[in-house]
Amino acid sequence: MAEIVLSHVKKTYGRGRRASTAVEDLTYTVADGDFVSLLGPSGCGKSTTLNMIAGLEDVTDGEILIDGRRVDDLDPDKRDLAFVFQDYALYPHMSVFENIAFGLRMRKVAKEEITQRVTDAAQRLNIDSVLGNRPRALSGGQRQRVALARAIARRPAVFLFDEPLSNLDALLRDRTRSELKILHADLGATSVYVTHDQEEAMTLSDRIAVMSKGHLEQYGTPEEIYRRPATEFVASFVGKPRMNLFTASRTEQGRYGLGDSGFTVDLAGVETDTIRVGLRPEECDVEVVDDKDTTAHGTVRVVEPLGGATDVLIDVSGELFMVRRPGFGGITPGQRVRISTSRATVHPFDPATGARLA
Amino acid sequence: MTRRTRRIIGMVVHRVLVVLLLVYLLAPFVWMVLFSIYPSQALQQLTPDLNPAQLTLSSYARLLGDPTFLRPMANSAMVGISTTIVCMVLGTWCAYAIARYRFRGRNVVLLGMLTVQAIPVIVLAVPLFILLRAFGMYDQLPGLVVTYTAFTLPLVVWMLVGFFADIPPSLERAAVIDGCNRFQIMTRIALPLATPGLAATAILAFINSWSDFFLAKVLTTTNATTLPVRTAAFQGLFAMDYTSAATAGVITALPVLLLALIAQKWIIRGLVEGAVKG
Repeated sequence: MAEIVLSHVKKTYGRGRRASTAVEDLTYTVADGDFVSLLGPSGCGKSTTLNMIAGLEDVTDGEILIDGRRVDDLDPDKRDLAFVFQDYALYPHMSVFENIAFGLRMRKVAKEEITQRVTDAAQRLNIDSVLGNRPRALSGGQRQRVALARAIARRPAVFLFDEPLSNLDALLRDRTRSELKILHADLGATSVYVTHDQEEAMTLSDRIAVMSKGHLEQYGTPEEIYRRPATEFVASFVGKPRMNLFTASRTEQGRYGLGDSGFTVDLAGVETDTIRVGLRPEECDVEVVDDKDTTAHGTVRVVEPLGGATDVLIDVSGELFMVRRPGFGGITPGQRVRISTSRATVHPFDPATGARLA
Repeated sequence: MTRRTRRIIGMVVHRVLVVLLLVYLLAPFVWMVLFSIYPSQALQQLTPDLNPAQLTLSSYARLLGDPTFLRPMANSAMVGISTTIVCMVLGTWCAYAIARYRFRGRNVVLLGMLTVQAIPVIVLAVPLFILLRAFGMYDQLPGLVVTYTAFTLPLVVWMLVGFFADIPPSLERAAVIDGCNRFQIMTRIALPLATPGLAATAILAFINSWSDFFLAKVLTTTNATTLPVRTAAFQGLFAMDYTSAATAGVITALPVLLLALIAQKWIIRGLVEGAVKG
């Protein structure tokens, strides 16, 4: 078992004036046995971070410790970790059995032990019937399982996953996601999981590290990330549908309004005149009002029924505001509505830095 | 004209062109094979006499029992195999390094390989002759091997770089995680996966040196003469032994033909298929 510590980790590519920074000043700890996701859009440095933990890429500055031991000068195979690649990276010239056994053979594990471990891993992932096949004879889902079995059979202290589900179709992805969660609960090994899918990160993780442009935006539990996003970026990236974010100006002490719509939110403890305000669509509600009612906030533009809920897009002073309400709801485009935020948490952010204000 | 008829016409035109191309490519060879198995007087008339009763393999027996023919044959085989081995051993390492490492001058080296191919052999023939004589390698097999390696190696490297570059890098990263060092990645992952490419390249290298005429003619006289040079010698100043020339031609072409067929099978069989994704 292992705890992973990143301390001021930095990665730059190139030298001199052409140098570009991929990752900057990453500092956080992945606790022993935790499942941690690195979440962010493409190019945010999450894969680079994973590769540095794995030892596939060098660390430019800072240090990485696994179980208290500094590893950033160690070769990948000395770090006691397994890696599941996005494209599975199965050896096409070896059978499934040999694919799983290869890492054990390289480590000079005894023959009977190899057979034992490969069979175990294969049974656990339901691929024991295809052990003699070549990877090209397998379906995408099976290949993905072989890649997982290869990692499990090694029995490493740390599992690293690089978007392992992104090549599966939607249905298979959901199922495999649940299986991954069960697998982690069974094995209890420290896992680091790279994904750009916030839903995957939320469902699987004990903790999430949200990254953007090489920086760590927030490191916390899924609930912390969702309930108290530390920056506007986190607020906009996590949560589906996306959080409503708009610039609001102070109308009176402790009250901020969106344009001249009459739509306001109450905020205590914030002193600036202009702020960015975030409101989750599922925490707001709408109420249809009469056409002549002057207290209306906006006009309904689009109604998107999803079955269990309906997304309503409202034009508020030229900005689109989304509200998710339960059921099919009797709302039609063109209706005038009032937005109610009595249930909602108001997330205030600094317009310049994007940092959370209160 | 409906789409259906247009498609049929297109197909017919395509087939006719393919047949014409085949005739154009194969006719000389077929003619040569016929000359090697029929007495030449049977063919050298207005309507060639193709009576199967006249079929004979006597010219093959004669040539394959003739020491002045067997010697060049052995020479060609020696030179071809040696050149291929040297080129593949050196070329594999060189190509792998170029394909997988980013270093200063990488592109220059790679483009250099291609540029060398553009130098006409005839420009180098006389300097090579002088060089080899100075080194005591004129009319010696090692001299030919060195010369052919110099011409073939760049081509081999150029081809192999492509084959190595086609191997998904994630496979090698997986091997690193599994505990392979650079050498093991090469021997256990890269080489097995590049086998079709290696085979095709090796065959090309062999064909290159086996069938060379010009350099062999310039750089040898009697001792190290190769098959193509010996074959051309059947053409006398006043008379020509068509049957022997054709037979020698078939014997020279046969290994090349067989190897080309094998290479084609190797190239088509994409081993890397199924390595990644779904």
